[in-house]
Amino acid sequence: MDSNKKYWKGLEELNKTPEFVEKNKHEFAEPVPIEDVLSGDGLLGKTPRRDFLKAVGFGVGAVTLAACQKAPIHKSIPYLIKPEEVTPGVANYYSSTYEGSAILVKTREGRPIKVEGNPNDLLAKGGLSAQAQASVLDLYDVSRVQSPLVNGEGHAWSEVDDYVKLELAKIKDSGKKIAIVSSTISSPSTLAVIADFITEYPTAKHIMYDAVSYTGIIQANQNSFGKAVLPHYNFDKADVIVSFAADFLGTWISGEEFTRQYVSNRNNKSLQAKKMSRHIQFETGMSLTGTNADTRIGLKPSEEGVALINLYNAITGTTLPGSKKLADNAVNNAITLAAKELVAAKGKALVVAGSNDVATQVLVNAINAALGSYGTTIDLDNNSNQYKGNDADFAEFVNEAKQGQIAAVMFLNANPVYDYYNTKELTDALAKVPLKISFNTSLDETSALATVVAPNHHYLESWGDDSAIAGYYTVMQPTINPVYNTRQAEESLMIWSNSTAKTYYDYVRAKWDANILPLGGLSGQKGWESVLQTGFVLAAAKPAGAYPFSKDLNAVAQTIMAQSTQQAAGDGAFELHLYQSSALRSGKQANNPWLQELPDPVSKVTWDNFAAMSLTDLKALNLQEGDVITIDANGTSIALPVLLQPGQAKGTISVAVGYGRTKGGKVIESGIGKNAYPLHSFRNGTVQTTAVAKISATGDQIILAQTQTHHSYEGRNVIREATFTEYKKNAYVNSGKDGEHKDYKSLWENYDRPTFNWVMAIDLNACTGCGACVVACNAENNVPVVGRDEVRRRREMHWIRIDRYYTFNEEGKGVTEEHEIDQLKNIDNVSVTHQPMLCQHCDHAPCETVCPVLATVHSSEGLNHMAYNRCVGTRYCANNCPFKVRRFNWFNYWNDSRFENYLQEQHTQLVLNPDVVTRFRGVMEKCTMCIQRIQSGKLQAKMEKRSVKDGDIKMACQQTCSANAIIFGNGNDPDSEVSKALRSERTYYVLEELNVQPGIGYQVKVRNTTELEA
Amino acid sequence: MASHKESIIREPLVTGKGITYAKVTDDILNPVENKPNKAWWIGFTVSSLGALLWVFAVSWTFWYGIGSWGLNKTVGWAWDITGFVWWVGIGHAGTLISAVLLLFRQKWRNSINRSAEAMTIFAVICAATYVVSHMGRPWMALYCLPLPNQYGSLWVNFNSPLIWDVFAISTYFSVSLVFWYTGLLPDIATIRDRGKGWYRRIYSVLSFGWTGSVKTWQRFETVSLILAGVSTPLVLSVHTIVSMDFATSLEPGWHTTIFPPYFVAGAIFSGFAMVQTLLLVTRKVLGLENYITMFHIESMNKIILLTGSVVGVAYITEFFIAYYSGGEYEQYTFLNRFIGPYWWAGCMMYGCNVLMTQVMWFKRVRTNITMSWVLSIIVNIGMWFERFVIIVTSLHRDFIPSSWAMFYPTWVDVSVFIGSIGVFFTLFLLFIRVLPSIAMAEVKLLLKEQSEEYKLKQMEAGHLDPEQVEFYKTSLKKFDGVDISVYENA
Repeated sequence: MDSNKKYWKGLEELNKTPEFVEKNKHEFAEPVPIEDVLSGDGLLGKTPRRDFLKAVGFGVGAVTLAACQKAPIHKSIPYLIKPEEVTPGVANYYSSTYEGSAILVKTREGRPIKVEGNPNDLLAKGGLSAQAQASVLDLYDVSRVQSPLVNGEGHAWSEVDDYVKLELAKIKDSGKKIAIVSSTISSPSTLAVIADFITEYPTAKHIMYDAVSYTGIIQANQNSFGKAVLPHYNFDKADVIVSFAADFLGTWISGEEFTRQYVSNRNNKSLQAKKMSRHIQFETGMSLTGTNADTRIGLKPSEEGVALINLYNAITGTTLPGSKKLADNAVNNAITLAAKELVAAKGKALVVAGSNDVATQVLVNAINAALGSYGTTIDLDNNSNQYKGNDADFAEFVNEAKQGQIAAVMFLNANPVYDYYNTKELTDALAKVPLKISFNTSLDETSALATVVAPNHHYLESWGDDSAIAGYYTVMQPTINPVYNTRQAEESLMIWSNSTAKTYYDYVRAKWDANILPLGGLSGQKGWESVLQTGFVLAAAKPAGAYPFSKDLNAVAQTIMAQSTQQAAGDGAFELHLYQSSALRSGKQANNPWLQELPDPVSKVTWDNFAAMSLTDLKALNLQEGDVITIDANGTSIALPVLLQPGQAKGTISVAVGYGRTKGGKVIESGIGKNAYPLHSFRNGTVQTTAVAKISATGDQIILAQTQTHHSYEGRNVIREATFTEYKKNAYVNSGKDGEHKDYKSLWENYDRPTFNWVMAIDLNACTGCGACVVACNAENNVPVVGRDEVRRRREMHWIRIDRYYTFNEEGKGVTEEHEIDQLKNIDNVSVTHQPMLCQHCDHAPCETVCPVLATVHSSEGLNHMAYNRCVGTRYCANNCPFKVRRFNWFNYWNDSRFENYLQEQHTQLVLNPDVVTRFRGVMEKCTMCIQRIQSGKLQAKMEKRSVKDGDIKMACQQTCSANAIIFGNGNDPDSEVSKALRSERTYYVLEELNVQPGIGYQVKVRNTTELEA
Repeated sequence: MASHKESIIREPLVTGKGITYAKVTDDILNPVENKPNKAWWIGFTVSSLGALLWVFAVSWTFWYGIGSWGLNKTVGWAWDITGFVWWVGIGHAGTLISAVLLLFRQKWRNSINRSAEAMTIFAVICAATYVVSHMGRPWMALYCLPLPNQYGSLWVNFNSPLIWDVFAISTYFSVSLVFWYTGLLPDIATIRDRGKGWYRRIYSVLSFGWTGSVKTWQRFETVSLILAGVSTPLVLSVHTIVSMDFATSLEPGWHTTIFPPYFVAGAIFSGFAMVQTLLLVTRKVLGLENYITMFHIESMNKIILLTGSVVGVAYITEFFIAYYSGGEYEQYTFLNRFIGPYWWAGCMMYGCNVLMTQVMWFKRVRTNITMSWVLSIIVNIGMWFERFVIIVTSLHRDFIPSSWAMFYPTWVDVSVFIGSIGVFFTLFLLFIRVLPSIAMAEVKLLLKEQSEEYKLKQMEAGHLDPEQVEFYKTSLKKFDGVDISVYENA
């Protein structure tokens, strides 16, 4: 709509005043100082254009110059002349030997990073102990003595040699004695070097001394059969095994070998042949072996002798003096039962005892002879060389030293100042020895007292050989140049005894050329080279003879009875039992953080020893777990926290040796446990592991660093067990596969797994729970060590763990639920299950769906991947993991001063596997199924233009398992070992009802318990 | 809006005599335009010390790693996510009051919505700090955003409830902020108009050029309604999604379909409790008894009672379903809340949230200021424990007994939580110093119809049912700001 209306802004406009007209001529009513702005200070301002340009120019120039500065330089020097055998990124394997086992050492770019079993090894057939796995870390230990010391000061080797030779010459002239104190030496060449030394210095004597001694067995064999040796046991030939406190699957003589033998009668193959050995264990504390027994009976040390006498009587039908019924009827019944079963299995039976008492072992020999074990389950002709120590010899040495007869002593791989039962007597005696030479690798308790420390090589730096079993010779070769300025002890001895051989290598060569190679039908350079590859020579075994027992047992029985009386604790006293812990053993490797953090297979305690006691005793004394008690025995006392140990015999305490070291490394010196060696006593010519102890509470409390604090499985079907009788009736028993199998509908699409579907089978009946896999995994995957405090906070980083569950047997029923256990009065009758637990690589992984950033995803090979670089650390995946196997990097374990004792040292980082990254703080990690091994297996197959064969790729945990409990492989291949294992009737999947579709199948645990049992 | 006369039986929303538009402005702007009083300074000092504690504890966490908290391999979330859910829950009352009550034309919201919305924003800020600080690598937090990147097609995991959380919380925060700020515009303009100098200039910028013209008001009303419409689903969605962090997982105790409604009810429950905690103090300290009256307090108590009972029913349902499902792990988890090592946390949860709030059935309790305040604190505590029980008590004993573990907080856990309360109160105290804690413009709308004065005038004018008048007079007795003697004579 048009409008002619006129609007005016004010009266001025209406009236058209002259001022208004004047003003309205211009665009702006007021004059705008445009000219001023454009020409005056306006543009010049404070930053004129030229200045601005200058500034920009300078700025850009300066930044450019700054950017030209070289980035921080990391020097990495390539090989100028590449060694023929070293290809960066490709591992080399060298065969060698660890404590008589043939091993393969994996080296990368010239540094050993992992020890693996030699699959052809006579002992464990590729299995390897946790200690062997951990030994590679000892190589790089900064606590090793890094150069020779005289009176605590560093000297050149030539100076040391001059000094020692002069001193030795003086001693030789004076006619005083020289003692070479070593732990058991089974190496033929080392023994020959020592023999040569003794020829040069005729007053010298070689004394073998073991921290944990087997003198009892050796002496007993001497007494019974005139053979002062440890026999070679064949657990694989035994259908019935009765063990009296011998931890033969763990620490006793040759645990890995015995595990392999033992499991061969209990694994899937054996079960499918409807065959399973029977194992009865009488023991004081709960040992690894005890946890695997079909029947386990708690027995006081003082009852052991009587029990053995009763067993002998029951088997032979005689009556030895001192036989009497024991107070506990369950023990009596068990003895009768054991005798019956042993007799029934004559020729296939084996009785072993852990005692170091000669009389006890003689009685065991008599029992075994009566059962016809010699020649079948016990081989005295191809004896074991693993332990040769003689307690009496060492006691005599101490005596002589005390009297000033000894002028020089050399310690080779022996640390008696720490592990001798009477340290005071020993140090006093050593004070009277003018020349003390230690070959030990660290400045341990013994080296600290030595005048000369001539540090030995680590075995991975050494030439040498070994012979764990008579006729079985393994070769040792160096895998790295010496890390420190050390020298092989044999070489030192050779130099000091003016040996004609130039080096120890030449010496070993000569010895092998002359004596050992011919045994394997080899000779010359070619033979030697082939041995360096195969790792061993195996001479034809001698026929194992049957040894009749013909000695009078009455005196033996009387000695045993006298001992039992002596050992029986009076009112208010306890019977103390000392044992080796599965992880630390004698304490030699106490400075190894991998072993310190390896949970004890039974108690799951790390970083400490403790006093294991039964619930009855704890209640009677009004003690709680963790209360510190003082244990008084044999004139010394130690204070240790109490641990409630189900199955511990009433009125007894078990304490592990190997702890409480005071010198020899940073880890040791941080103070770990208490030394229990002084609680030993010397009786009847041997060091005995039992004593009568008085205890008193100190009022202190220590929280033990346990990786598992709930000990029963609450009736949940994560653990499935059956008895052998049930299994024979129905192989599917309790696996859940025989009934109508529920088929779960899935909301998810299945992943394609075109070529590989990596899966695993774990046989609960084979796994003994030893924990070697844990250390193997640590070494393979650079798993950080977190220390005692962090384990207390439940933050250990292990990718694989062994869950250990107790089931309490009450009136023939297994009780596993917490509230029921609390009602139980008696928790001594306990059976134990071990379950290795690691990432299950679920096909419907709950962790994958919840990760906000896709840091954990599924692979086309059935694996659950973890992309560390993508992880932001919400920890949702760990919360949602029903198996709780994911591990979070709470701290920067690789660069945080609070963890520097473990793996951050200058050289310890050399042990890291370069194929696996270390993880930064804030990211999640977990088992990868050794994906680097899968990758290298695939690459190897590709290079050889073939497809991956079953068994090409082995997981680190699988490889080290002496029991062969873990099988890994391609589930897509119906003929693979793992597919076969998973088709077993016993296979079940943990938490399969959640339909997470785990990639790891477990096989039902079968126990060979009998109906007769009380 | 005020086109009809409100019935006399309705209780007044503004009490006191001589309440004019000017007086409303003066009363409400009193703390903004004057130097703060001693009570404010004490509160501010304490809470900013708390905020500093937060800065210290979070810096400590960033420096050393999440390991400085008490978490472990079994319990991967504890005080962090407990605090997160607690704060997000608290935020819900603000949105409910500002959006849902607006849509339902509940005019009593007018005098409490401003503070409640501010509380929402500050609570969500506190919650968001947990989102970042609980991460192992917070500097990589941007990985949680679907940003284009150089990794090819690497995207976020849209299956993960944590990603839903990222969207839910950020949407919630931005909508709440816009809603709150839009509502503030007329009030900021009022401050601007009354202020001088730099003070005026700042508020001038903040007022976005509010002119107060009819058109502006009309648009203001429209925008408010639209935003209310947008916010209303958020009241339900945000805590639904937070609950899905748990509900979509496998964990027994988490894997529960009832969680969405249960969490929403719990959120409103805890949010109103926090509003109550704040306003009962604020009205006293700032002398706002005439605007935040007993009617408001009682109304909020009624909502607390209702939502508390809803939560109670949800608890019972959970237990029934755990029993009925036959799932052994779930049954154990719920039993474990009472007989496990964290039984005391379970007792705190059920006791504070369900048992204690039932006393609000009594009018004497609902209209007692001290009791209301104490109960609001109890609800806050109870709701913290609810989240603690859901998170820690479920996680610490789940499927595989070997991994069962206890969670013990460290000083850092405690400090981050206490510190977050400090941050919250610091922000709130700053807010009441610089912005009107009551929506002046909206309260002024009430004067003509819903004020005590107006009702008194109506009574004086007569024409009312005496029975209704009597009812009205009786209802006034509970008001602490009403001089009842006036009515006794009338």
